[in-house]
Amino acid sequence: MNSIERHVNHELEAIEIDLLLEGIYRYYGFDFRNYAVPFLNRRIWNRVRAENVSSISGLQEKIFHDPSVMKRLVYDFSINVTEMFRDPSFFFSFRTKIVPLLRDCSAIRIWHAGCSTGEEVYSMAILLHEEGLYEKTRIYATDINENVLKHAQAGEFPLQRMQLYTRNYLAAGGIRSFSEYYTAKNENAIFHPFLMKNVVFAQHNLATDRSFNEFHVIICRNVMIYFNKMLQNRVHHLLHESLSLSGILALGSKEGIKFTSIANSYEEVDSFEKVYRKIK
Amino acid sequence: MKFKTKLYIGFGFLFGLFIISYLIFMIMMSQINQNTKNAVKNYEMLSLANTIQNELNVFSREARGLLANPPEELKRPFKESRDQALHNVNIAIGSLEKLDSREQSQHLIQELKTMSRTLGEMEKEGDGLIKEGKYAEVTQLFWYDSLKVREDMVKVASELQAIQKQTVDTELNQSRKTYKLMNQMIFIYMIAGFLAGISMTIWIFRSVTGNLNKVTSVMTKVAFGQSDQLPRIKVTSKDEIGEIAVAFNEMAQALETHTMQEKELKHAAEEHSWLKTKVAEIATMYPGIDSLEILAQLFITKVAPMTGAKYGVFYMKQGNGEETKYQKLAAYAYNDQEAGKDSFCLGEGLVGQCALENRTISLHQVPADYIKIASGLGSASPANVLVIPAEFQGEVLAVIELASFEPFNPLEQMLLQEVMDNIGMNINSILRHMQVEKLLEDSQTLTEELQSQSEELQLQQEELRTVNEQLEEQYENSEQKTRELEKTKSMLEEKAKQLTVSSQYKSEFLANMSHELRTPLNSLLILAQMLAENADGNLTAKQVEYAGTIFSSGNDLLHLINDILDIAKVEAGKMEILFEDVKLSDVKEVVEAQFIPIAREKKIQLNVQLAPNLPKVIYTDKQRLQQILKNLLSNAFKFTEHGAVSLTIQKVEKEVFSKANEIPYTDIELAFAIKDTGIGIPEEKQDNLFDAFKQADGTISRKYGGTGLGLSISREIAHLLGGFIEVESIEHNGSTFTLYLPNDRQMKQSELSIVEAEVAAGVIEDSESIAIVDPVEFLIQADEIEKQSYGKKALLEGKKILVVDDDMRNIFALTTALESYLVEVLFAENGKEGIAVLQEHPDIDLVLMDIMMPEMDGFEAIRFIRRKEEFLHLPIIALTAKAMKDDRKQCIDAGASDYISKPVNLEQLFSTMQVWLYR
Ligand SMILES: C[S@@+](CC[C@H](N)C(=O)[O-])C[C@H]1O[C@@H](n2cnc3c(N)ncnc32)[C@H](O)[C@@H]1O
Repeated sequence: MNSIERHVNHELEAIEIDLLLEGIYRYYGFDFRNYAVPFLNRRIWNRVRAENVSSISGLQEKIFHDPSVMKRLVYDFSINVTEMFRDPSFFFSFRTKIVPLLRDCSAIRIWHAGCSTGEEVYSMAILLHEEGLYEKTRIYATDINENVLKHAQAGEFPLQRMQLYTRNYLAAGGIRSFSEYYTAKNENAIFHPFLMKNVVFAQHNLATDRSFNEFHVIICRNVMIYFNKMLQNRVHHLLHESLSLSGILALGSKEGIKFTSIANSYEEVDSFEKVYRKIK
Repeated sequence: MKFKTKLYIGFGFLFGLFIISYLIFMIMMSQINQNTKNAVKNYEMLSLANTIQNELNVFSREARGLLANPPEELKRPFKESRDQALHNVNIAIGSLEKLDSREQSQHLIQELKTMSRTLGEMEKEGDGLIKEGKYAEVTQLFWYDSLKVREDMVKVASELQAIQKQTVDTELNQSRKTYKLMNQMIFIYMIAGFLAGISMTIWIFRSVTGNLNKVTSVMTKVAFGQSDQLPRIKVTSKDEIGEIAVAFNEMAQALETHTMQEKELKHAAEEHSWLKTKVAEIATMYPGIDSLEILAQLFITKVAPMTGAKYGVFYMKQGNGEETKYQKLAAYAYNDQEAGKDSFCLGEGLVGQCALENRTISLHQVPADYIKIASGLGSASPANVLVIPAEFQGEVLAVIELASFEPFNPLEQMLLQEVMDNIGMNINSILRHMQVEKLLEDSQTLTEELQSQSEELQLQQEELRTVNEQLEEQYENSEQKTRELEKTKSMLEEKAKQLTVSSQYKSEFLANMSHELRTPLNSLLILAQMLAENADGNLTAKQVEYAGTIFSSGNDLLHLINDILDIAKVEAGKMEILFEDVKLSDVKEVVEAQFIPIAREKKIQLNVQLAPNLPKVIYTDKQRLQQILKNLLSNAFKFTEHGAVSLTIQKVEKEVFSKANEIPYTDIELAFAIKDTGIGIPEEKQDNLFDAFKQADGTISRKYGGTGLGLSISREIAHLLGGFIEVESIEHNGSTFTLYLPNDRQMKQSELSIVEAEVAAGVIEDSESIAIVDPVEFLIQADEIEKQSYGKKALLEGKKILVVDDDMRNIFALTTALESYLVEVLFAENGKEGIAVLQEHPDIDLVLMDIMMPEMDGFEAIRFIRRKEEFLHLPIIALTAKAMKDDRKQCIDAGASDYISKPVNLEQLFSTMQVWLYR
């Protein structure tokens, strides 16, 4: 394939993807139009291959006429990779730097935006429990994908991953035994329900929905990496709007606020762990 | 005259005056001294003369005493005093003689001497007379002769005294005169010396202070504030003051030059510092600027007024190579209407030229219409224009143009030079900063992209894993099938075992003797039959009976051999099956033909029934089917004393489960049920009813005859035909044997026989190893595998766990709890022991380690274990005291995988163990 052809193909591909996403938005109401282009590319082609069609247009036909294909594509777009105490140093930093700031609050509201299957939420609940803050905390955990929320509510995580989680827990500065929080049953570790006492799980789409409360801490890690610049900025404004003054914003270890349009409204609390504080 | 000389003269004069007066005094003093000495001498002589007179008086008195003739004892002191007095007189005369050398005196002294000598003689004479007692003569002598001498002597002494007295008087006079003279002299000298001293001093003072005053008056005129112009001293004298004056003049000169230099330096320093502050002022505005426009604007608005320029433009380089252009970016007092171009190519106009050459261009007396500097009041043309490049590493990054009414002075030019250097650097760094910023942003986007990719990858891995797990599950299922197969196999194995027990020799026997055995047996049977027929009639009834017995027993034997051969064939997979169309009516006929006679004989009913919906023809091996039916029917007849035996052939449901092994047979169509009303089979014996060489009861074979192999063979053949046999029986009430058969045209004999052959071959191959494994255990193991996928038990069962704790009660409690989950527990009472146990059993799956222990505590033990390569990933769960927060951190640091606090909650312990035993 020569370069012109490839160029043309790229252009065509871009058009096909645009049309597909626009169509999905208009017909199904899912708005993926501002997700990162390379990501969409990979995922869509993935689906094209899996559905045994030869082009994106081919997929488009299936998607509009077979809702189950649409469902599968939505799942393709929802990358739910997560783990408990993921990036333990973040949780350690949270424990040492943020927790002291929260002690004085009479009631704490935390929003986990894009909580996936809930590992992050359980981790936070455990941390707050150990720091004696859980009782006065309310955690709002939201995700676009209802299936993962169901999973999160159940609080059962595969036994197979528990060794990693235990190591993470310890590295994150856990002060008790991790085993105090779960009971092994068959292939799963079932976490004790008291951890979910103050947690609300709800469906929420960062791309289209509005702010629903004011929070002291917002944790939105590894969600915006799937968005393009424009949507990232949009979501940042949404988060900013939902954060109280001197509230804390935590992003994923590979993300950052520097190149967003709202960078000036925050100061760094821990630059390495991507923890920021709203200053205006 | 020098000041020194003057001093010398003055002081020398005074000194001389002093010495002279001293000498005069000395002389006068010695004069007085001399006089005094003379006076003293005369006085001594006077007193000596006196002494003489006095002593003479004493002499007279004593001598008179003696004359008075005192008592003897008093004479002596008188005499002594008298002699003493005389002696004193003589001494005084002697002294006088020495002292007074004057002739007149000497003469008198000689006279005295003579008289005293005479006196002495007279006394001696007197003494002699006294001794002689001639007192009269003594008195005579004394009063006349001696008196006279004595009077003379007094007289002479008085004369001497007079002389002396006169001398003393003259001497005194003399010295009085001298003293007077001296007084006068001293007075005169004092006056003269005083006068001379004063005049001298005045002279010296005047000559010294006069010059000094001249110098000091000049010096006091010096004002140190303005040391650039100092007064000078006119040098008049050649003395020290003159020298001072000269030195002062020189100093003043030096001071003046120094001040001059200092002033120049100060000026230079001021200029320098001005330059520096200006440069710094411009430099300090750079930080924080991140756009070139702002930089240019700030720069030109600062620099222009600093250099007195009234107009300035900042051109920035844009593009590269051919397209290089210098674009106006900012201006100071820019005047739109009259200005020239906004951008210049390289070499175009002064700006372009300046950039091309990288050199400052300076214009004086520019034409009046070149540029105009405008204000609200009017405009004028500047006379001087400077075009300066800003470069970085040889590349001209910007050019500025400045215009002014006055020429730019060197200082301003210097300033320009320096700030231009700086701005070159800053433009470069801003450009670079902008590049870096851009790169950073790109890299941030890339990092996020990478993160999303890595998550996708993780997801895909996860998906792959689930697919894998599904595959594994399927595999597990097939495993399960295999296991079932294995179970079948193990049953076969059991048979094989029985075979190995009973027929290790059997197979040999069979192999070797099957044919050879049957041939002679056959001939034996024929002969026996012939004998029994007694064709010749020459045998007794008894003998015929015997022959009959031989025949029937031989016949039994032949059957047995045939059965054994059959079963051997089946088990060896050598039984040949020949599928063909078989008419069920034929089957019925054959059965009836064979068993109706027996039924009659035993007085038992035989019913053969074919259901109406049966196919006419089935597809199977006719021979084998008949063999099975024959076996089952002959069994039925064998064990039935009264009642009936029936064979019912029916159609059945598609799917039937064999009870013995839960393999579903999907294509069963026909059921051949053989029912009797015989003795039945006890339930517990039904299971191994079909096993070769086993019957419900050992005694049965004796009572009813038969080999007992019939059922085994039947079952095997049924399998070969794709079916199976089932038995239902109530003891004492009869049994029903049902043969289930498929009716499948696809059935291929080869397929079946291959499976069976493989199983059989496996049996033979494995027979040795299987003999070692206890079948019971094997079954248990199989069972375990089955359970393993579920639950606590599954994860814990069969695991080897080491408990290290110094408290035996803990060990006991843990061991009891763990063993209930079929965990194998090893234990040790301290770290050292624990390590030893671990080294002995490297297959330990997990260690529970107490921390507080004697000998070697848990931390140390954990560290020790972790140092070994092979135990790097061994799960170690530390048991810590609840209160000891530090312990936990220490545990993890030492290398423990996890910890739980004591007292141990078993539920928690088991959960933790499951996590860490998970593979
Ligand atoms: C990679 S997970 C991050 C999970 C967790 N925060 C962590 O860092 O471990 C990203 C989650 O964002 C969710 N998500 C994607 N787009 C979203 C949207 N527009 N609104 C809300 N959630 C979204 C996905 O469903 C997914 O569960």
